[in-house]
Amino acid sequence: MKTFVWRRAAAVSRKEVLHILRDPYTLGAALALPVFMVIMFGVAIEFNVKNVALTVCDSDQTQSSRRLLDSFGSSQYFLLHGVPSPYEAVKEVSAERARAALIIPPRFEKDLFDGRGAEVQMLVDGSDNSTVGPVLSYVSSIQTIASRRIADYDPPAPYDLRTRFLFNPELNSRWFVIPGLTVVVMSILSILLTALTIAREWENGSMELLLSTPVEPLEIIVGKLAPYGALGIIAVAFVYVIARTVFGIPFVGNLAVFGLGCLLFLMTYLAQGLLISVVTRKQTIAMQLAMMSGMLPSNLLSGFIFPIESMPKFFQYFTMILPARWFMTIARDTFLVGSSFFELSGSFLALSIFCVLMILIATRRFKRDLEP
Amino acid sequence: MNFSSSETHDHETAVEVRNLSVRFGDFYAVNRVSFSVRRGETFGFLGANGAGKTTTIRVLCGLLRPAEGYVRVAGVSFDQGEQAVKSKVGYMSQKFTLYDDLTIEENLSFTASLRKLDTATYMRRRQELFDFIAFDRPLNTIVRDLSGGTKQQVSLAASLLHDPEVVFLDEPTAGVTPASRSRFWSLIRKLAENNKTVFVTTHYMDEAEQCDRIALMREGKILALDTPDGLKRSIFPMPMLEFDPKEPLSFAEISEMATHEVFMFFEPYGLRFHASFRSEDGWEKVRPFFEEKFTIRQIKPSLEDVFIQTVESEVA
Repeated sequence: MKTFVWRRAAAVSRKEVLHILRDPYTLGAALALPVFMVIMFGVAIEFNVKNVALTVCDSDQTQSSRRLLDSFGSSQYFLLHGVPSPYEAVKEVSAERARAALIIPPRFEKDLFDGRGAEVQMLVDGSDNSTVGPVLSYVSSIQTIASRRIADYDPPAPYDLRTRFLFNPELNSRWFVIPGLTVVVMSILSILLTALTIAREWENGSMELLLSTPVEPLEIIVGKLAPYGALGIIAVAFVYVIARTVFGIPFVGNLAVFGLGCLLFLMTYLAQGLLISVVTRKQTIAMQLAMMSGMLPSNLLSGFIFPIESMPKFFQYFTMILPARWFMTIARDTFLVGSSFFELSGSFLALSIFCVLMILIATRRFKRDLEP
Repeated sequence: MNFSSSETHDHETAVEVRNLSVRFGDFYAVNRVSFSVRRGETFGFLGANGAGKTTTIRVLCGLLRPAEGYVRVAGVSFDQGEQAVKSKVGYMSQKFTLYDDLTIEENLSFTASLRKLDTATYMRRRQELFDFIAFDRPLNTIVRDLSGGTKQQVSLAASLLHDPEVVFLDEPTAGVTPASRSRFWSLIRKLAENNKTVFVTTHYMDEAEQCDRIALMREGKILALDTPDGLKRSIFPMPMLEFDPKEPLSFAEISEMATHEVFMFFEPYGLRFHASFRSEDGWEKVRPFFEEKFTIRQIKPSLEDVFIQTVESEVA
């Protein structure tokens, strides 16, 4: 009696594709969103801080103080701008004309040569956390250079520490962000659109009419989800191509491993979208719930922007129940590190568990809801 | 009241319902309802919103499983599964007709695919049904561009695509123009001529008047079931009178009359009143008194009078 009929599932799919094609909003969101996001994150958002406005007050006006300022000025990280008094330097910072102020006291050179140890003051605008970290790290590296230049000789170092960054030698933030975008784009397309499409059938009453025909719940699920699954895959392919060609981001891993991760993640989120629409049955609520449970976590708690390691302990554990976190690891490691399937087996295991779990819960709820 | 339900089991019975109850939690949406519908009959369900009409129809279409009761539709009993029922009936819901953003052809072929019609059958049925509803618009018209009445007719065609034995129409004419309503009903009559069983719910009395038999529902129960004329006779055994006031009346006078013990029924009807009395003798005594104030003439009771008396009366 309960046989799966491909023709009925295909009919549902075909109808869904027609809905998508006739709805410029959905189609636009599906096609333009990945492009828009990649360009936005790739071009506009720059995590590498450059050209920080630095106001300087050189009360010493000696060769040593000028050498110190030169070191800052030639670093490319700072744009220098001199003021006559420390008071005005502080005013520049509080008026937000400068991010930081460097104050060199009189007798800087004298203290230096007397061996008393000279002091220089650095005031950093702490209200913008995103610049503080980079600025401080620049300052410390400039300090080393400046010391040598001021002393005019290279002190024999007891050891030489040379740092090399693996996988992303220039610490290019795009390399880090764009592979993660695949997660964000997919989560928007899969969970949101799925939640909306089925809630819409409930809302306008057409689900009832579907059910008055001999169509089976499973045929509706497969038919409804297939087009959105395809859309998700297409969007990821978009992101991948733009990442590789426009931004020249390397992909050193195995494409099949990455693809498998995509597929697992996609199915998990499609099922989650299905579950949301079954539970809410209203497009507006479904939308909010999809945002809350799908998009927010994949943006904020997956390690996309904020590193999981620096979260409070509770959240570090909390992220473990988010499929996005595991897929984020897979996406980044396949792009940049070139991890093999076995190296990522932990993430794959977690993702598979969520996938199976979510599909089971969603289809059971859906079927129970539809059966008379 | 007359609960005339023929207890036959032959193949001339299209719908057979015995002691059907549907419960949502503690609430009985349908409470021990019994009736049967003959093949080729146009059967109407009349009742206020929430009376249980739609719930009953949803059970009969296999969309809802009853808490108890025996149901047999188009020769298929529910023990054979909902799918067996679904393939025998057509359903037009009150909430939804067709997908607005698809074309007529896309809507129909979607339904045909869900019903597993092969292409040849689908094409033949589509043409038959378009002839039937006299539809001549291009097939690639987007449904959104159709008028409400046309949409409803195409939707009827969609529900008839698989040539069902029984078709359930849940308030099919809600929200369309009077002209479209009467056209839709001429289609329903044509279906009946072709020996199709039509099961229809409605709010409109003039539509109910066109049914072979009607069931009046309230609070999940059938209060009365008969032909329109039979209902009028049984509910109003005494003649129905129309009172036309000679002078405008005050509210006090109206309410005094409405509660007068001689009347079993007294309801305003525009500027006039429809009334029926309890006994001939009682009426003859007070008649001269009323004739002073009103022009009184005898009329045939309308279905609306029946509806008000049974469904809207305070006593259950």
